[in-house]
Amino acid sequence: MDFEWTAEHNAFRERLRDVLTRTLPADWGVKSRYDTSSEYVSKYSRTFCPMLAKEGLLIPHWAKELGGEGLDGFHHWILGEEMVAAGEPRSYQYMSVNWVGPTLMKYGTKAQVDEFIPKIKSGNFIWCQGFSEPNAGSDLAALSTRAERTKNGYIINGSKIWTSGASFANHCFMLARTGGARRSGVSVFLIPMDAKGVEVRVIPNYIGERTVHEVFFTDVEVPEEWRLGEENKGWDIVTHVLNLERIGIPRYAFSLRVLDHAIDLLKQRGKYSDSAVQARAGRAKAACEASRHMALSIINERVNGRPASATTNVARYALVTSDRMIAEFLGDFLHDDLVGGNDPMIMSGYRRTGSVGIASGAAEVQLDLIARNLLQLPRGD
Amino acid sequence: MNLDLTSDQLTLQTAIEQLADHHRTVPTGTIDHFVPGVALERDLEENGFFDVARQDDMGAVEAALLIETIAQLPFTVEVGASALVAPMVLPGQVLPRPIALARAPFTGPVRYLTTAKTALIDTGNDVRLIDLTGANIEPVKTPFAYPYGRLTEGDIAKAKVLKGVSPALLRQWWQVSLAVEIYGVAKAAVDLTVQYVKDRRQFNRPIGQFQSVQHRLAECTMLVHGTRILARRAAWSGKASDAAEAAAYAQEAATRIHYDTHQFHGAMGITAEYPLHLWSFRLKALQGELGGQFEQAKAAAVAHWGA
Ligand SMILES: Cc1cc2nc3c(=O)[nH]c(=O)nc-3n(C[C@H](O)[C@H](O)[C@H](O)COP(=O)(O)OP(=O)(O)OC[C@H]3O[C@@H](n4cnc5c(N)ncnc54)[C@H](O)[C@@H]3O)c2cc1C
Repeated sequence: MDFEWTAEHNAFRERLRDVLTRTLPADWGVKSRYDTSSEYVSKYSRTFCPMLAKEGLLIPHWAKELGGEGLDGFHHWILGEEMVAAGEPRSYQYMSVNWVGPTLMKYGTKAQVDEFIPKIKSGNFIWCQGFSEPNAGSDLAALSTRAERTKNGYIINGSKIWTSGASFANHCFMLARTGGARRSGVSVFLIPMDAKGVEVRVIPNYIGERTVHEVFFTDVEVPEEWRLGEENKGWDIVTHVLNLERIGIPRYAFSLRVLDHAIDLLKQRGKYSDSAVQARAGRAKAACEASRHMALSIINERVNGRPASATTNVARYALVTSDRMIAEFLGDFLHDDLVGGNDPMIMSGYRRTGSVGIASGAAEVQLDLIARNLLQLPRGD
Repeated sequence: MNLDLTSDQLTLQTAIEQLADHHRTVPTGTIDHFVPGVALERDLEENGFFDVARQDDMGAVEAALLIETIAQLPFTVEVGASALVAPMVLPGQVLPRPIALARAPFTGPVRYLTTAKTALIDTGNDVRLIDLTGANIEPVKTPFAYPYGRLTEGDIAKAKVLKGVSPALLRQWWQVSLAVEIYGVAKAAVDLTVQYVKDRRQFNRPIGQFQSVQHRLAECTMLVHGTRILARRAAWSGKASDAAEAAAYAQEAATRIHYDTHQFHGAMGITAEYPLHLWSFRLKALQGELGGQFEQAKAAAVAHWGA
């Protein structure tokens, strides 16, 4: 058992920090408001990610043949920690790196890999994820967007909701029903967002500027080659994606930074010496460290080539818990800052904690999966 | 970073598990508050397990692996102070065991004092040692599943200051030991409860089929996993801040797991005839030791952000 980062891991982290310090503008906090979905950050990502690509820092954990550096999965995790702590200047391109790319490589045809991997590698290609629908949230297998067979492929009709980044994404990684009910009739499609019949509406919300959208598909003509994997076998791909996604963003990295910043503010105001404040801060810090190390245990499994298990859901629930503690701490001790709304880091730290228990599967769904798959408790009615 | 156990650690863990296999059940009909693990203690002693941290190429992590497994057994055996705290605080000295850990000025009864041969005392300014061989310790009846005793002024007068030993270091390893022990005890309490809710039927179904039961046990599982990883990290790193975080997290987990494991046992959980209390009332004891979660969380904050 070894919790020490290797010299390479440390050097890699230092390099990332160095790049971030050199690159991010001095007023990054004010401009970005640490909002991954803002117009500013998404535009910024289109120059920032190509720069990362040139430095070999965009997809360091991909194999060399695919344009990566062939580094281990911990490098990928360190990359995530440093980017998330900085407020995610890659915008939603983290999705390409975390799960779209790896999933295309596992399930894609040669033509699909040849088409998309170079685009992802360039750092100028943003994906969105079209899974959830108005009547298929936690119960994703109830999805009803339909892909009807035609002579040359399919026609898709239906709508998606809560799609992050849809208004500025290039492509949508989406699910549609090609067969019968539930999981057995689902296929995955890769749809350009400028395809005829695709329309997007931003949903105003209090997490981020363009965090959630509705996406409407009306008679969208889709050639066979846009389907990923076999027809009606999409659910295996969904499971693969969700496992990568649930432990994909090191959210605690930003939360820990927010907590450091909150303590600085409390110190300046002479409020930190109160032992109730200290105890609550220590408690939140401990919870973040627990979620960090549970996430690292999942990465450890991946690095050692072991298949995903329900411990992924345990680690995800730990992330939910620790972010919630951060929100509670801010709400209790930095109330005036929240009301004032001027401090971008406090505001972002507070806002983003509102989604962790819902996105990537509601917290209660994670608990269901732990109960069923890890504790082997009997299925409810 | 490699969070797998090394092959030596796996071998050690297997050996500990094999030893533990002989001590997994208490004699039927036991209704005591706790069951001293006399045979378990003898087995551990004869096989040199209390000295695991002093072996070449071994240390706090290996001691933690020992405590993780032993704490899951239904017997009460002093292992944390002997196998982990004392070797880390006084590496050059083997103290007569069992060892009790205390804080001065004395606020209350001390865990394991009645059976201890040595007490280590954190006075805040220094660390003192009391040789308890032949001492007449007054046992204290408590609701908890550990033996407790009270030190007298006479015992305290015999205390020797251990030169060069920092009380902060004693507290740190005490915190780590608490966290590891809470992990083991909590794991066993949750495992027992998960089995119970599979077996116990009401409303024509196992009670473990109810989502409110499932979710809380899943949350307990997260707390068990979190306690273990933070405790292991603290054992591995030897950093004061890691120790405080591990203990703060563990003591909060102990509170929650005590409550939920009892809740899901219904009335059965309050009987002395059913074994849950052998773990749950250890959790209750560990929850408040060393000042409880509040003190450890404060210590974690001070270690990271200053006073
Ligand atoms: C910020 C954000 C970004 C998102 N981005 C995307 C995206 O890019 N692409 C995408 O496809 N989706 C996205 N989602 C959608 C997300 O996956 C869904 O919101 C989530 O799966 C829950 O579905 P729902 O919102 O319809 O809630 P519902 O399914 O209606 O559930 C509401 C609540 O009911 C409870 N509940 C539901 N089922 C159960 C159960 N079985 N047991 C107990 N309680 C239950 C839970 O508390 C849950 O929060 C995003 C969501 C958020 C908040």
